[in-house]
Amino acid sequence: MTYVERLVRLFDNPLIVKDGVSRMRSWRAPLVLTLYLGVLGLFGYSVFVALIVISSSDRSGAAQIGGIVFETMAFMQLSLVALFAPALAAGAISGERERQTFDVLLVSRLSALSIVWGKLVASVAFMLLLILAALPLFAAVFLFGGIDFEQFVITQLLTVTTAVSIAAVSLFLSAAFGRTLSSTVAAYGAAFAGMVGTLIVGALLSVGLLGRTAGQTVAVSANIHPLEFANPFYSMWIVLNIPNGAPMPLGRLMQMLAFMPGSPSSLGPMLEPWVATILVQAGLVALSIAGAVQLVQHRRAYVPTRPVEPIPAVERVDAGSEA
Amino acid sequence: MIEVEALHKRFGSQVALQAVDFSIPAGEIFGFIGPNGAGKTTTIRILATLALPDAGTATIGGIPVAQDPHAVRELIGYMPDFFGVYDRLTSMEYLEFYAACHGVPRRRRRAVAHELLELVDLTDRADDQVDTLSRGMKQRLCLGRALVHDPQVLLLDEPASGLDPRARIEMRELIRELRRMGKTILVSSHILPELEELCTWVGFIDAGRMVASGPMSDVRNQVLTGRRLRVELVDPDEVKLLAARDQIDGRRGVISVQLVEDGLEVAVEEGFKDQDLLIELVRAGVAVRSFAPVTGDLSEAFMRLTGRPTEPVT
Repeated sequence: MTYVERLVRLFDNPLIVKDGVSRMRSWRAPLVLTLYLGVLGLFGYSVFVALIVISSSDRSGAAQIGGIVFETMAFMQLSLVALFAPALAAGAISGERERQTFDVLLVSRLSALSIVWGKLVASVAFMLLLILAALPLFAAVFLFGGIDFEQFVITQLLTVTTAVSIAAVSLFLSAAFGRTLSSTVAAYGAAFAGMVGTLIVGALLSVGLLGRTAGQTVAVSANIHPLEFANPFYSMWIVLNIPNGAPMPLGRLMQMLAFMPGSPSSLGPMLEPWVATILVQAGLVALSIAGAVQLVQHRRAYVPTRPVEPIPAVERVDAGSEA
Repeated sequence: MIEVEALHKRFGSQVALQAVDFSIPAGEIFGFIGPNGAGKTTTIRILATLALPDAGTATIGGIPVAQDPHAVRELIGYMPDFFGVYDRLTSMEYLEFYAACHGVPRRRRRAVAHELLELVDLTDRADDQVDTLSRGMKQRLCLGRALVHDPQVLLLDEPASGLDPRARIEMRELIRELRRMGKTILVSSHILPELEELCTWVGFIDAGRMVASGPMSDVRNQVLTGRRLRVELVDPDEVKLLAARDQIDGRRGVISVQLVEDGLEVAVEEGFKDQDLLIELVRAGVAVRSFAPVTGDLSEAFMRLTGRPTEPVT
């Protein structure tokens, strides 16, 4: 089997087609798409107009404006993705249970992994559509200059990986909770903790680390706690604002994660924040898929659909044995 | 085809199944009968590979359900007691989706869906969205869905629940047709008249225990002493009814005669020749309007075994 055939087979999953068709026929799909592009476009345009009003119109000014508009739009898109991904994925499995279609899926030939994978791809596919649909907006801003192609690609890549990781965690929660309402609340909690919580806690820990290493000559950039270092907002900010990046040795990141004292370690490869973010997100995706598969498999040997009411038994008359 | 031996299942402190055993030969329709909460759904879920028994074994086509669920799933078509449908999919797409889930090759899916829509008499609703179908149509479509991979065994949990009388009859005919196609069918219900005319084998379950199982006639004979005949008269009045009763009562093979509205109900022993009684009545000048065995014996059998009736048809 060639790699292309393997790739095609990977996406030849009936759940992807079914959920895709079902979602795109809903009135919500065009509404969400319109809202997403509307909010993003309006936000970018507002920033653009505001900057035009307060800045000069020479060529370098245009590049500066382009850079700022691109950056604000990239952060806005990342926030929107974090906002939409839980809603799109948190009902993927719990919704099947609520709709009472899950048991029928479980007795089909689909494996637990196929079910989880199909649901994840179906959820992510719509997010990708949103991100793809917004590309022309970013491309228009890109023409102003101020952003190079690598920055453009990495910001889009970070947006996609963030969407996939939030969707995967939401899918796991969807398998863990019986009700879509509970899984959605938990998924928003997890997305908030991952996107904002890690930034705040990471920043506080970074400040704390700075205090502990005050006696030594350590660069501030060597004290960024991994929670902050791998945060998507932080890594995107670095990509868009620090041309040479802010890499850190893997050993130093591990040292800070384990709260190990001593002089900063220089062991291991140097990691850019965006690489660390993507690695952490890949780990989260793998763990979430594995967890969801376990939960789906567990469901195969689980639960009565109705409570069993105890009623007094009667004696057996066995005609079958004589038949 | 289906063998269940000493199946036990508990949910917490509640005992759902206690030493349940029965067997179903290939090609039979097995009526799995019991009140709500008796253990029918739990047993069917175990057979459908959706639950594991605490003890005991269940095999389908010789394959142990707990040990090789993947192979069992190839053999069974399962219709749960409660099921939903997907919004915004047409009947055709619905069946094609499940055909894909069961590994039917892409080039065959449309043809399979067409055949099944024809079988369940929904060809004219092929392009209608599933959520716009009536309940009876959804039930038939769900039964069609259970057939997408042409399974040998069908596990139908309360397939006629919530259906109107017409839809019930359609469902019954469909199940008969599936038997003619060679399927082995386990069909559960808490409504006995629904199964009485349909099933060839029967199993009664009550409070998690099998109280009787086997071929329909064996179970009936084992539980009920004799059969009953209903004799209705033309223009019945008390004199005519009493005269007819005197004619029948005491005859060899007759256990008892009871006066009922418009006629008589006669309990007879097994082997009693019904036609002889009819000939004798006609010769004696009794104007007989109808003469037929009493149906509903299964309900009586169930009542005798459990001491309580199943639910009436609603």
